[in-house]
This record gives sequence, C-alpha cells and structure tokens, in this order.
Amino acid sequence: MFMIQVPRVSMLRVNTLRVLCRTGTLLQTGWSLKDRQSLSRAVTCALQCCVSTDSSSIRSLQQQFVPQDRGDKRDVRVRHLCTAQVCLTCWNCQHPLKQKPAFFCESCEVVQPPPEDTSYFSILECDCTFTLDTLKLQKKYLQLQRLLHPDNFSQKSEREQGYSESQSALVNKAYETLLKPLSRGLYMLELQGLNIEEGTDSAVNSELLMELMEINEALDAVETPQEANEIGQDTKGKLADLTEQIDTALNKGELQTAKALLTKMKYFANIEEKVKEKLSSFM
Amino acid sequence: RMSGATLRKCISLLVYRGKLFSPEHSTSCSYHKKVVDHYENPRNVGSLDKNAQNVGTGLVGAPACGDVMKLQIQVDDNGKIVDAKFKTFGCGSAIASSSLATELVKGKSVDEALTIKNTDIAKELCLPPVKLHCSMLAEDAIKAALSDYRLKQDKKEVLGEARA
Repeated sequence: MFMIQVPRVSMLRVNTLRVLCRTGTLLQTGWSLKDRQSLSRAVTCALQCCVSTDSSSIRSLQQQFVPQDRGDKRDVRVRHLCTAQVCLTCWNCQHPLKQKPAFFCESCEVVQPPPEDTSYFSILECDCTFTLDTLKLQKKYLQLQRLLHPDNFSQKSEREQGYSESQSALVNKAYETLLKPLSRGLYMLELQGLNIEEGTDSAVNSELLMELMEINEALDAVETPQEANEIGQDTKGKLADLTEQIDTALNKGELQTAKALLTKMKYFANIEEKVKEKLSSFM
Repeated sequence: RMSGATLRKCISLLVYRGKLFSPEHSTSCSYHKKVVDHYENPRNVGSLDKNAQNVGTGLVGAPACGDVMKLQIQVDDNGKIVDAKFKTFGCGSAIASSSLATELVKGKSVDEALTIKNTDIAKELCLPPVKLHCSMLAEDAIKAALSDYRLKQDKKEVLGEARA
C-alpha cells in the first residue's frame, strides 16, 4: 500500500490530489535527485491516465516535483510514455509526431518547435557524408524555407510565429554549415566530439607555415588582377586536393588525419578570401 | 600590411557602429581605437634576413582562425634586441598584437623579452575576450623568435669549439 505525503496541499487542486491518490504515486521527502526525476515522469504519466486534468494543474505539479536546479526553462509538454521510446506529441492536438525531425504536425498541420538533438544532416535530409550533392541540398533548403519562413506565419498565433522563426533560423544555420566543405568537415568532427582548439601551431607545421607566409606575401605584392587570379587558381587547386583527402580520411574514420587536413584547409580558405578581396580592390 | 579595401571595410564598419568616434568612457578603454591605430600606423612591418646569424625568426599559426604570424628579432653582440619586424595575415587584433609585440621587444635583452606575457599585450590593446587568443599568438611568436635565435647561437658555439 502506498503512502502519500503531499507538501503544500493548499497549492494543489482537489481533483489533482485525487489523481495522485488514485494512481498510487509514492512521495517521500528524502529521495535522491535521480528518484525525483523518475518520480516526475511517473507523476506526468499518472496525470496522462486521468481524464480530468488541465494544463495549469500539470504545471503546478511539474513545478512541485520537477527538479528546480535544472535552470533551463522548457515548454511544458505532455508526453505519452510508449513502450518503445518517448515520443513527442503535437503541442496543439496531441497527435504523436512520428517523423524526426517533425516540422509540422501530420494531423492538424500546425508548425512545431525546432527539434532538439537533431543533426544538420537529418534536418536537410542528407546522408552524413563529406561528399554532398550541393544542388540537392539547396533544393531541400528552399523547399523547407518555403514552408517555414516567418512571412508565411504573419496571420498565425504568436506561438506559431515564434516556432516558425526558430525553425527557419535553424534551417539557415544547417544549410550554411553543410554548404561549404570546410564548415561541413568541421561539423562532422564536432559530431564525433572533436574540435579544433584555440592554440598555436608552430614547430609542428613549420613547412606549411612558411608556404602560407610566402603565398600571403606574394598576394600582398600583386599589382595586376592577373597575378591575383594566378594565386587564386593555385589555391583553388590546393583546396580541391584537400577536399579529396579529407573525404578519404573521414570515410576511413581517421579523425585525427581529417582534423589536420581541415586545419590546413582553413589556412587556404583564408587565402582564397584574400584573393577575392584583392580582386575587388582592383575594380 | 592589410590591403586598402579591407582597411576601408573595417573603418566603415567601425564608423557604422559608432565606435570609431564615440567618446571614451572614463573607466574602460576603447579597444577599437588602439587596434585601429595599429592598422593605420603599423609599426615595424617587414622582414629581416632570416639567414643572418644574429636574427631570430618566429613563425606561428592559429588553426582555429587560420591566422599566420611572423616575428623577427635582430640581436646585437651584448644580447640586446635592437630591431624587430613582423608580418601578420589575419584579423585586426592579430595584426595589432604582433605590431605591439615588436615594440615591446625592442630594447630588451633576450632574457627580458622572454618575460613578455600575452596578458600585457591584451591589456594594452584592451582586447575583448573573444580575441585573447591573438595576444597568445603574439607571445608565442616572440618565444619562437627567441628560441630560433638561441638555437643559432648554440650552433655557432658548437662550431666555434669544434674549430678551436
């Protein structure tokens, strides 16, 4: 037999209290954080089972029993606890969202908040590989923006407008990152937990640094657009080579090699930018 | 030296943001002013003969942002740094940091120059937190130049001993 001990009874409505009693949820004040977390899930589940609940009582219960020290504010979402895994539901009609990521509800077609923990690759429906069909990427991006752009939501509720803004921004970010090989490669490393640290590179790569210095100095000294173009073409060739090498390394799972190559690519990408600036200065 | 177009872009950006001509706060310094000063009046841009016996060359790069920095020192027979030159390809803060670094090393002995810290550079230029790594790069460039100079002196000694 479960004993129920509810602190601050006056804050709870009577029918909510009845729900707790009915489903026999156990409450104790001395429980560990882990227990409290599973407890909050149990409470939410219990509330799901009951017919007469409203969002304000759910909210007050969540405030009571969800650990307060989380610090992050999340939308109060009602979750169905399926046997397989936790599925998200539409905030509007509670229909389960089966797609991942789900931009719109299948049932009521209302826009959903941006997905959490979804990679840019799955947002833009691409395989997580370094070689990417950028035309296909662009098509998908435009297709998504046609549906998600805030301009389409000017007559909708504030909540929907907010969701469309965040979704649209996320799709933009995903597209920008995946479009260029350098950012794409760096993102793929990031997904594996590898980042390029802020630090200095000296003895390790002195030959490369000397080469970079020479190219930069030559670029600085050009006097005609043709000279600048020559350097530009040369750099493009180097970047194409690096792209191939990075692809091979990532396919083989050689992350450290890929990281070193992406670092090299960053230096040459900067030179490519400078060539463009130099050429525009001639105009 | 930065190209004219980039310089114009940076200046126009700063003007647009109203920071170039905004009044200085009494309590905090305006880093833009000091960094821009190094753009407009770069000190010690250039090269020294890297094959010379009394020249130390430091070549460093920052992988995260792709900046490349070369700093060279010329040391006299008393171990004092009499000249320094730099060439940096990167953001304005990196250029300013290395420019300031060449100013700081001049007149110091090799041992004194080793004590120059990135925090001195960052403080002098009032670099924002996101640009602190530029001052770090400058400190590493100084150390690399000093190390190169030391290596050359050690080699000279060894050769001198061998001949004697």
